[in-house]
Amino acid sequence: MEDRRPIACLWSDTQALVAVARCWSGEGGTRYLALGCEGSANKLGIGIIAHDALTGTPTVLSNIRHTFVSPPGTGFLPKDTAHHHRSFFVRVAHEALSAADITPSEIDCICYTRGPGMGGPLTSVAIAARTLALLWGKELVGVNHCVGHIEMGRAITGAQDPVVLYVSGGNTQVIAYAEQRYRIFGEALDIAVGNCLDRFARALEISNDPAPGYNIEQLAKKGGGVLVDLPYAVKGMDCSFSGILTRAEELAGQMRAGEKGPDGEVLTPEDLCFSLQETVFAMLVEITERAMAHVGSNQVLIVGGVGCNERLQEMMGAMAAERGGSVYATDERFCIDNGIMIAHAGLLAYETGLRTPLEESTCTQRFRTDEVFVKWRK
Amino acid sequence: MATNNSLPCALTLDIPFPNARLASVALRALQVDKELSSSVTRHFATVSSPGSEQDSVVRVEYKAATNRMLRVAVNSFLDSVALVIEVMQELDVDVLDSQTPSTKG
Repeated sequence: MEDRRPIACLWSDTQALVAVARCWSGEGGTRYLALGCEGSANKLGIGIIAHDALTGTPTVLSNIRHTFVSPPGTGFLPKDTAHHHRSFFVRVAHEALSAADITPSEIDCICYTRGPGMGGPLTSVAIAARTLALLWGKELVGVNHCVGHIEMGRAITGAQDPVVLYVSGGNTQVIAYAEQRYRIFGEALDIAVGNCLDRFARALEISNDPAPGYNIEQLAKKGGGVLVDLPYAVKGMDCSFSGILTRAEELAGQMRAGEKGPDGEVLTPEDLCFSLQETVFAMLVEITERAMAHVGSNQVLIVGGVGCNERLQEMMGAMAAERGGSVYATDERFCIDNGIMIAHAGLLAYETGLRTPLEESTCTQRFRTDEVFVKWRK
Repeated sequence: MATNNSLPCALTLDIPFPNARLASVALRALQVDKELSSSVTRHFATVSSPGSEQDSVVRVEYKAATNRMLRVAVNSFLDSVALVIEVMQELDVDVLDSQTPSTKG
């Protein structure tokens, strides 16, 4: 967006005249640019974002992603995933630069995912990001992956101060912002909800392309004739998924062996997927609602890959509507892991003066959301 | 504190770069991460190649408790080196400058 301000009064100072002239020419309304690199799981994402220097309004200049898909019945292992990220980094970076139509000189900082996530994949992306930063003479900003999701969700949806449900293959947290921290109100005690879904997909040998959760969702849409009884494990503000996964895997085994369900029902993959989704999503709705009651909010923002799921959005929407509120969600460009969210959150931090010195530009598998000092918000 | 005797397996790699700038970039990018195991140590330096005044060679000295650990560490390191080199080859400032501007897709 160009900044063109009319001359409203006489300027006697030469510098002011020059400044006004630059405003007219479009140079005065500058913007900050960041390149962000993400690789904490099986998605390699590189994105370039612009922030208007005056208003802070973000503009997505490019958002390129390549996903490492493992064969049906398998998950993605750290070594193979790191290999994938190394193999595709240059290609994805090229695409991001040409789609944004910018040169390195225009970029203000290089942002990368510091954590949380898988060690090898994280580090492989960090090494490439450091190399870019050194070659281009730019500073680095390490970003918390969860904060990236939250800030991108806020930017895209415009949600004011929602309770955030962050649900993905690696994370399940209920978060609310208070006094410059994203505070975790509830979380999965063992495995993430997305991990539960992904591992169940393996039990049924469902394709991992484009993502196992997506394919479970499509199967679930065709199910619904039978709701199989699965253990519902909400524990106060938290929840647990390993028990329900064990039971679901057991039923999948019984189904493949031609056995009937516990109540004599015929088991189908569609009904198992439907039943699993209904149960785990109901658990998520419950812990989200509990947090909303706690903080007095009626807005929900869903971020993370599982947030793409339309049934989850529907169930959350019904609960929020009952409370007189609404649900905010983004589309797959932003809820699935991506580089633009890292660029956006990193640039927000950069604009407050935060820098990650090269010697400290490491990665960490454990990085709590509330460890980040959210200096860019009041 | 580990003595040299407890890390008897050693390997030194000399990785040549076209100039001192690129050698320095590689060294600085690669030396940040610590080795995961205390049974493996590595030490970085830039040295000059014979007949050159520039310090355009990155020298990495690996020491490990067993040959297996040495092999695993060095193989992993070489993967990272390959990535750094590819990024330099394809995304350095002069490389991008020389490419014809592409139209927006």
